[in-house]
Amino acid sequence: MEWMRIETRDGVNAFLPGETVEGTVGWHFDVPAKSVELRLLWYTEGKGDQDVTVVESVPLPNPGTDEVRPFQIRLPAGPFSFSGRLISLVWALEAVAEPGSRAERLPITVSPTRQEILLSSGVAVAGPG
Amino acid sequence: MRARDNPFAVQRVHAIRYRLAGVTWEELLERLAALDFRAALVGPHGHGKTTLLEDLGARLAERGFQIRTATLRQGERRLGPVRHAALFGDPGPRDLLLVDGAEQLDPLSWWTLRLRSRAAAGLVVTSHRPGLLPVLHECRTTPELLAEIVAELSGAADGEEIAELFGRHRGDLRLALRELYDARSRGALL
Repeated sequence: MEWMRIETRDGVNAFLPGETVEGTVGWHFDVPAKSVELRLLWYTEGKGDQDVTVVESVPLPNPGTDEVRPFQIRLPAGPFSFSGRLISLVWALEAVAEPGSRAERLPITVSPTRQEILLSSGVAVAGPG
Repeated sequence: MRARDNPFAVQRVHAIRYRLAGVTWEELLERLAALDFRAALVGPHGHGKTTLLEDLGARLAERGFQIRTATLRQGERRLGPVRHAALFGDPGPRDLLLVDGAEQLDPLSWWTLRLRSRAAAGLVVTSHRPGLLPVLHECRTTPELLAEIVAELSGAADGEEIAELFGRHRGDLRLALRELYDARSRGALL
């Protein structure tokens, strides 16, 4: 059975803007992958159409069928992770193997408090960047 | 409730795929082949035409067709250069054109699309009304279907309330599910 797994150092999944995320991407493929890529992205969830922005892509070249690769990715200054009634902004690390679009996603939090910012109605919170 | 926890968030709704009723995928594909791959998916707003077109495209791609898509929004009467290039740029013999919202096109643009599509392996469109191409499938919704989807998304569905919701939106599942999103975001159960 195939699997992919993203793990951050010490299982930490909340970070400050600008911090470096360290961890590993592991996988087992029955069908060898031609490429594996780790992506740092944010996306929106909620009532409206989804926005997705890939902030950084890190190729993991020459993937074998069973491997664990370390990674380091520096987070940008923003936007911050937040949630309101209409929209949430979620940061995530995503590993994608081709062919087959095999993927694994690990949501993380990026904010000055290391906690998702909760919006109440009428209050807008914006981060730099 | 946080938007990302709302069971009726758009991304979760989009993950629900089209459920064929009364016909299997194999039968639908056979019928499409019998229509020389020129056909229409017909139905009102929010009845699943776009989802069915996406799912059909995926199955046709598995069968070796090169899928080319274009979507027309309300009031877009012409294909325009971007959609034109997406459909007709660098053409190949296995190109199958999928056009969502074809009823929006003005008569000249529709005529041009039909003419240009003759060089492709096929043309499948969605439309609110029949008449553009032979109807491959008429998209319908029922209160039972809405109840099934609501139960899948949120774990429960009150049949009576679902029937009212369905009636209020005249079978438009998109609008019904949006109402449920709003209700959940306010903390209401349904």
